[in-house]
Amino acid sequence: MMRRLVAMFAILVVIALGLAFYALQLKRKVVRDEQLAAQQQLALAAPASGPATPVTLYVASDADGSLHKQSVSIALPVERTERARAVLRALLAQYLQPSTPHPIGDGGDVRDVYLLGDGTAVVDSNSAFADSHPSGVLAEELTIASMVLTLNASDPNITRVKILVNGQERETLAGHADLTRFYLADNLGHAVKDTP
Amino acid sequence: MRFSRGAWRPLVTLPLVVAVFLAVLALRHSVAQAQAPEPNQLSVYSPQTAYTVPLLEVKGQLYVGLVELLEPLGTVEARAEGKKYRLSFTPPGGKSREAQFSEGKDKSKLGGKDYKLPASFIVQNGHGYVPLAAANDLLLRLASLDVEFHPASRRLFVGNVAEPFNLELRQDKTARLFISFPGAVNPTIATEPGHVRFTFRREPVVSLGPDTVKFNDPLITGTTFSERDGIAELDVQGTAPLMANFADGGKTIIVTAAPAPPPAVAQEAPQTPAQAPNAQPSPAQPQRPTGPRFLVLIDPAHGGSDIGSAITPSLAEKDVVLALARRVQRELASRGIAANLLRNSDVAISLDQRAVSANAARPALYLSLHAANTGRGVHVFTSLLPVTSLSPQDFLPWDTAQASFLDLSGSVAGSVAAELDARKMPYTTLPAPLRPMNNVAAPAIAVEIAPPGSNVDEIADAAYQEQVAQSIAAGVAAVRGKLPEVRP
Repeated sequence: MMRRLVAMFAILVVIALGLAFYALQLKRKVVRDEQLAAQQQLALAAPASGPATPVTLYVASDADGSLHKQSVSIALPVERTERARAVLRALLAQYLQPSTPHPIGDGGDVRDVYLLGDGTAVVDSNSAFADSHPSGVLAEELTIASMVLTLNASDPNITRVKILVNGQERETLAGHADLTRFYLADNLGHAVKDTP
Repeated sequence: MRFSRGAWRPLVTLPLVVAVFLAVLALRHSVAQAQAPEPNQLSVYSPQTAYTVPLLEVKGQLYVGLVELLEPLGTVEARAEGKKYRLSFTPPGGKSREAQFSEGKDKSKLGGKDYKLPASFIVQNGHGYVPLAAANDLLLRLASLDVEFHPASRRLFVGNVAEPFNLELRQDKTARLFISFPGAVNPTIATEPGHVRFTFRREPVVSLGPDTVKFNDPLITGTTFSERDGIAELDVQGTAPLMANFADGGKTIIVTAAPAPPPAVAQEAPQTPAQAPNAQPSPAQPQRPTGPRFLVLIDPAHGGSDIGSAITPSLAEKDVVLALARRVQRELASRGIAANLLRNSDVAISLDQRAVSANAARPALYLSLHAANTGRGVHVFTSLLPVTSLSPQDFLPWDTAQASFLDLSGSVAGSVAAELDARKMPYTTLPAPLRPMNNVAAPAIAVEIAPPGSNVDEIADAAYQEQVAQSIAAGVAAVRGKLPEVRP
């Protein structure tokens, strides 16, 4: 009887360990797939129809700790929230290039942008955006400032921005920059250096 | 398929047995967690500073990190080369001493001579650890300093720093116990009916007389001194509620009868900043020394499981900023400015706790230190908040407490930037959305060091960090006159 009990217990333990290992592999696969999907989507930059429209991106540079205006032409959707999302994805696409002056880590993407009536934009980024973002006060601040000012430049009615990660509020972006607050576009101009 | 009654039994009982077994395991684990002692740590007191060093337990033997032990006492350069671990230590104004250890071996070399450790040397994550039992002897040989080690309480006294206290009971109308110290003290004080207990975490308080003293007095009946887990504790016993007052600039504590009836529940009146979140007003709350003083509170960011930025695979932001914080503290001290570290060991402190501790300490300046491998040089930040019309004397909102101090914070940041500029160091000044700076009701800046050039490893270079520390200290000293001396 005792031997049977021990055998059954051993089998249960093996099954439990096997299930735990399988769950871990499954979790890793989901994260990998999410990052891959985000990269594939970003490679397309702004998915839109219609003619290319010039937009101003505020592109961060780690070397001098500032933002530089950069004009690019992208096809923009008509709908405001989709347009805001497309502009931000065009900005993040800059940061995902190998020669970027401000790398943000693989897989960072904007899932959605919600526009509220009072000039507030709520940007919902994916997990990879925060999880793989380089940690540092300056690096994190430049990312946030560039997103807020780029949104404001593309749609001047957007005056303040809140950033979520995977639909949730997060304390900091990557250990430093405060994500619990709203960012005012008027308050971030200090970081801008116009390209000569 | 049908089962007989007997055949069901193992199918029902087995999961029950497994569930009970797992429940017992979980219960044992949770009990073990609940009863786990405080993390092992060594308290070190030196003429320059007092600090704690976390201890590592390996195969029943306690180990202490060499760099963590020596860094506050001088300049340390250490590197692991395969199984070899080389270390160079230079005390302030002294000559450099070399040491070489071998991972997994107890044989080592100090200043070219053979030296045997009481147990094997170990290396973890690039950090070298020696047995705790060898700490005092190593300090003696490397730093040429007199060292006294209290192994039972894990308190290490470097140099002649031990502060014996003196007890004097004066029986006038009511009994008063005068506890005198050679220097000012700032213990945590806890009161409960019939007891007032002083806990000394940063002060090298020792007893030269008997640990237990009895008084022939109807109010104050005796004292008991004890040392444990890196702290010293003095318990004053009485027959009625007692209260404590500071006198003589914090060098004397006077214990007397409390004027009001005691609360039903014991209340603790923490004095150290790290325990300020639980501070409650109490009838027995001591009166703090009242003289104005200029204190800089240095906050090395992150700590414990929060490593901050991974500067390199073997170098964490939390370690870089702690080393830098100690350098800044020394540089400020050399300019006659008192500075405390919000954390002086590898412990995790939440952002809210940091802000509460900073506000409780009421510093003239709060200095947050960070490190990153992005960008170049030194980044100096003030808080990214809109200017407010509230004055520092008003009741300040928690989220924007810093807004009232932005002018002064900007002056300090500008002064530090000017010192960096004078030393031709690359720097950037910006407002930053950085917590807990927004919640600090005092002038506040944050400094983030990045590598000076393309080599990331240079961020830990002693000469580079020293230059940054000197710039910060000189910048603070230059605007000292503008910053208000805050009464404690």
